[in-house]
Amino acid sequence: MAETGNNSGLLTVRLVTPDRVLVDATAEAVELPSMSGYLEALYGHAPLLAELGAGEVRLHGGTSGDQTFFVAWGFVEVLPERVTILAETALHPNEIDKAEAQQELQAGDKMWHEAGDDGAKYDEANAIMREAAEKIASAEGKTAA
Amino acid sequence: MANVLDLRRRIRSVKNTRQITKAMKMVSAAKLRRAQDRAMQARPYAQMLTNVLESLVRRTDLFDSATGDIMHPLLVEREEKNVLVLVVAGDKGFAGGFNSNIGKAAQRFIDERRALGQNVDLEPTGKKAIGFYKRILTANYEHKEELYDNELSKHIEDIRHRVEPIEVVAQHPTMLLKADFDEVTDMANSIIKRYERTEIDSVYIVFNEFKSVIQQRVVVEKLLPIRKLGSHEITALEEMTEEQREAAAKAAQSAGVSINVPEESVAEQEAKKFGTAEVDYIFDQAPERLFSNLMPRYVTTQIFHALLESIAAEHAARMTATDAATKNAGELIDKLSLTMNRVRQAAITKEIIEIVSGAAAL
Repeated sequence: MAETGNNSGLLTVRLVTPDRVLVDATAEAVELPSMSGYLEALYGHAPLLAELGAGEVRLHGGTSGDQTFFVAWGFVEVLPERVTILAETALHPNEIDKAEAQQELQAGDKMWHEAGDDGAKYDEANAIMREAAEKIASAEGKTAA
Repeated sequence: MANVLDLRRRIRSVKNTRQITKAMKMVSAAKLRRAQDRAMQARPYAQMLTNVLESLVRRTDLFDSATGDIMHPLLVEREEKNVLVLVVAGDKGFAGGFNSNIGKAAQRFIDERRALGQNVDLEPTGKKAIGFYKRILTANYEHKEELYDNELSKHIEDIRHRVEPIEVVAQHPTMLLKADFDEVTDMANSIIKRYERTEIDSVYIVFNEFKSVIQQRVVVEKLLPIRKLGSHEITALEEMTEEQREAAAKAAQSAGVSINVPEESVAEQEAKKFGTAEVDYIFDQAPERLFSNLMPRYVTTQIFHALLESIAAEHAARMTATDAATKNAGELIDKLSLTMNRVRQAAITKEIIEIVSGAAAL
């Protein structure tokens, strides 16, 4: 493959969802919403495995220009010349249905209040609320990096 | 003997039938192609997820160093007392033996388990599969909520009351329409929950595996507990017969569907390398945590994968069945045309004889 002898300083980025390979492009930098906060990978980054939370994956530079995707849960492997992202859901910000996200947010809130003593339910409710909130922010183009 | 008019009417009717079956075949072929594509596109994700898990297994301790217990609940093997079977069939008929083969394989499995004295829970997917178990009792859950003494918090619990040794736990009538990953996630999470609270001790899935049009088989695969990542633990299987294979190959050829196993895409080849580089990765989170978050997703992708293959197999079966029907209709038309011509000729001959003998009598 081209990446092995690739000295262009560009990362090969691939975004894979359960349904298909969504993005296969190059970029100068990739921003990733890791579980422990946003991180950015540049060419030559040390090998890294991280879990992704809800947030935006942003591709900067590269052949196809800047691109942004909303991901809900995912996993990323960063290698010096390649970034591969596994995402359970990945959407273009334009595809986000804000009304639906708003409903999800409310459903999550309701779930949180009805969780009783079930710890797992709280986690689930929190995850739902966070995803919905990030979705809305992403649709409005307001996410803080 | 039937008269010419009747025969002509019958031929017309069979011709109509042939038209319909032919159209159905082409529709199934198109759907099959789409389903096959979709199954292919879903592969990189499943492959990558498996790879990450495998590389994590090498880095984390799966066993508690103090007690020797397995760390993750989905890896724990228990004595099988209650078995859950996911039965995946189609939504519609007209697919040859597709649905009944699944039904038979599932029944055999259930009988085996019953003979061992195990309880069986059923979870059919697809309208036909649900139809198999219409008369079986639906599982009864009691939802319990009680306030704690301080009345600040509630204790919530779902308790299962088993009445019969075989019960239907859940049904998924619309799952196959879209095969939406989110829906499969919900289904898998519910199964995992039941497994973790030891309501069930193992999970099997009965479905039609699909490699290509001529490489299909009905399999019973073990989903939980997970014994080895990335491998399919098949406990029973039924291959296609040579006859079926030939019929399928013929149908595929006339419908323009390839009978070969599709080649791996670049993305898929790349996917195999995911997370396996011979380097020391930095882990953004603790490997144990990553591992336990990935495990349920692994189960989900396994089920998702089975559903996609089953959908492709259903279309392939329908294509083969309607192709056979088209062929039979053609044969019937030939036979009827022959009879019709004979009857007509007999009538003409009879008339000529009458005229000739009439003329001779003059």
